[in-house]
Amino acid sequence: MTSRFSVSDSSPGSHAGSEHVITVQHLVKRYGDFAAVNDVSFSIKQGEIFGIIGPNGAGKTTTVECISGLRTADSGSISIYGLSPHKDRNKVREFLGVQLQESSMPPRLKVSEAVELFASFYPDPVDPDGLLETLGINDVKNSIYKKLSGGQRQRLSIALALVGNPRIAILDELTTGLDPEARRETWSLIESIRDRGVTVILVTHFMDEAERLCDRLALINHGKLAVLDTPEAIAALAGGSRVRFVPSKPVDDKTLYAIPGVKEVERKEAYVTVTGTGDLASSVINSLARIGVRMSDIEARGGNLDDAFVKLTRDDASGASGGVQT
Amino acid sequence: MTSAPSESREKEPRGHFSELLKVEAKLALREPVGLFTGIGVPTILLVVFGLLGIANPGNVPGTSYTVIELYVPVIMVIAFIFLGIYVLPIAMVKYREIGWLRRVSLTPVPPSRLLAAQLIINLVLALAAILIITFGSELVFGASLDVGIPYFVLSVVLSIAVIFSLGLLVAALIPSQSVASGASGGLIFLLFFLAGLWVPPATVGGPLATIMYYSPSGAAAQALLYSVFNSTPPYTAIVTMVVYTLVFAFLATRYFRWE
Repeated sequence: MTSRFSVSDSSPGSHAGSEHVITVQHLVKRYGDFAAVNDVSFSIKQGEIFGIIGPNGAGKTTTVECISGLRTADSGSISIYGLSPHKDRNKVREFLGVQLQESSMPPRLKVSEAVELFASFYPDPVDPDGLLETLGINDVKNSIYKKLSGGQRQRLSIALALVGNPRIAILDELTTGLDPEARRETWSLIESIRDRGVTVILVTHFMDEAERLCDRLALINHGKLAVLDTPEAIAALAGGSRVRFVPSKPVDDKTLYAIPGVKEVERKEAYVTVTGTGDLASSVINSLARIGVRMSDIEARGGNLDDAFVKLTRDDASGASGGVQT
Repeated sequence: MTSAPSESREKEPRGHFSELLKVEAKLALREPVGLFTGIGVPTILLVVFGLLGIANPGNVPGTSYTVIELYVPVIMVIAFIFLGIYVLPIAMVKYREIGWLRRVSLTPVPPSRLLAAQLIINLVLALAAILIITFGSELVFGASLDVGIPYFVLSVVLSIAVIFSLGLLVAALIPSQSVASGASGGLIFLLFFLAGLWVPPATVGGPLATIMYYSPSGAAAQALLYSVFNSTPPYTAIVTMVVYTLVFAFLATRYFRWE
């Protein structure tokens, strides 16, 4: 966890870490009458991995397409290092690397040719061979695109996004269709990109991916920004962490509710389950120890982003008519 | 790393177009549909009509040309049609359909450079076809051409312009590769007919000949026929090609989509 912040921490003299490299204000994008993105605002800091999550069709891809200049916003503003992705598109493209969802390449193009071609497009590219080595596809550099596996294609797509030595990388649905091992390798890769000082915008619908990689998350639902915070803080919104245990002697609800952080108490047979916020497990253990209650069979679970995601997107969809539990 | 991006802006990416051209040329060799249709098929037609000419010596009735002489310009136009109406649009439609144009448009290099590279490669193939047809018909099949270079260059330039601009219009209007194969297939046969592959306009006469002469491929074949015998191409053929080119190019630039 500490290495996550190494870039900003290791450069205290610079203003990195607090500088906003991308600012999106009141972004609106309509397709006909349908507002795919409806008044979304956020800022992205230098060197962070900024996640954009949300259900299918929520407006995630449209948002990053506006940032990358592929689409023009209907209203609102986007600033990338003070430049407009639309008006200054040629300048912005020199330091913005993009990995597109569902983008393919000419079937008979070789890996090395694709990377060298894209390297020639940029003023200050990285060494193509070194990049292929880092991405673990140097051994297939003479293979043509159509012979590559899904994971290799995905890595090549990442290579094309990074070969121009970008300051900002936009990665859309990067690990969709990859096997678990390839996903984990891709995650390490994204962390190494960020460790090189690149600001990363990651669009995903995998909560484990968002939780593991992102410094901050924007949850977009129905074209609106539902919440913007750290993964931990968003996970806590779903009711926070939960501790289940068997007490050595009966404890009444009043005592349990008095423990700092406890929000809810449930009982089932001998088990007591408390839900709440903060460092719940140690808080409960310490408080009960003080009154001579020992706990056995302890099961603690931190805040879960999956739960938060479902809660936040469902609440929004079903309105304020009370939760339906089935 | 965190300095303002403006520092690297002065360096322009050099050599990106030659790199693009190199890659496109390699792809054209790996998937040699252009070589086959633009050079292979015209060469086969040259041999077929050359042998027909040997079997039926003398001038074609109603004309002052032998079979092979009459078909030299038609075969050239057929090569241009294959390259311009089939190879070029299918390549561009494919690049658009798989998202390659969109991908390139996210780099500092505009996707129009891909189109430019495709045009250059198909032009090179067209020139190779011209040389093979001209020298093949003369040296192997005894055609006695008298190529008037200025007229010939003018006719070739306009023929390629009219056919390639129609091909770009096809690329602009057609959404997917599957539709492209069917649509350009139909158009190709219509243009072959109008150019005189089955019946040369000179032997047809009447309103059909007029229709053929005022069509893009018929006007091209007519202008080429005159110029390979050192005559001034009819101004109607020249004007026909210029007008079609302007219309096709205008519509193509208006409707072409990069994604």
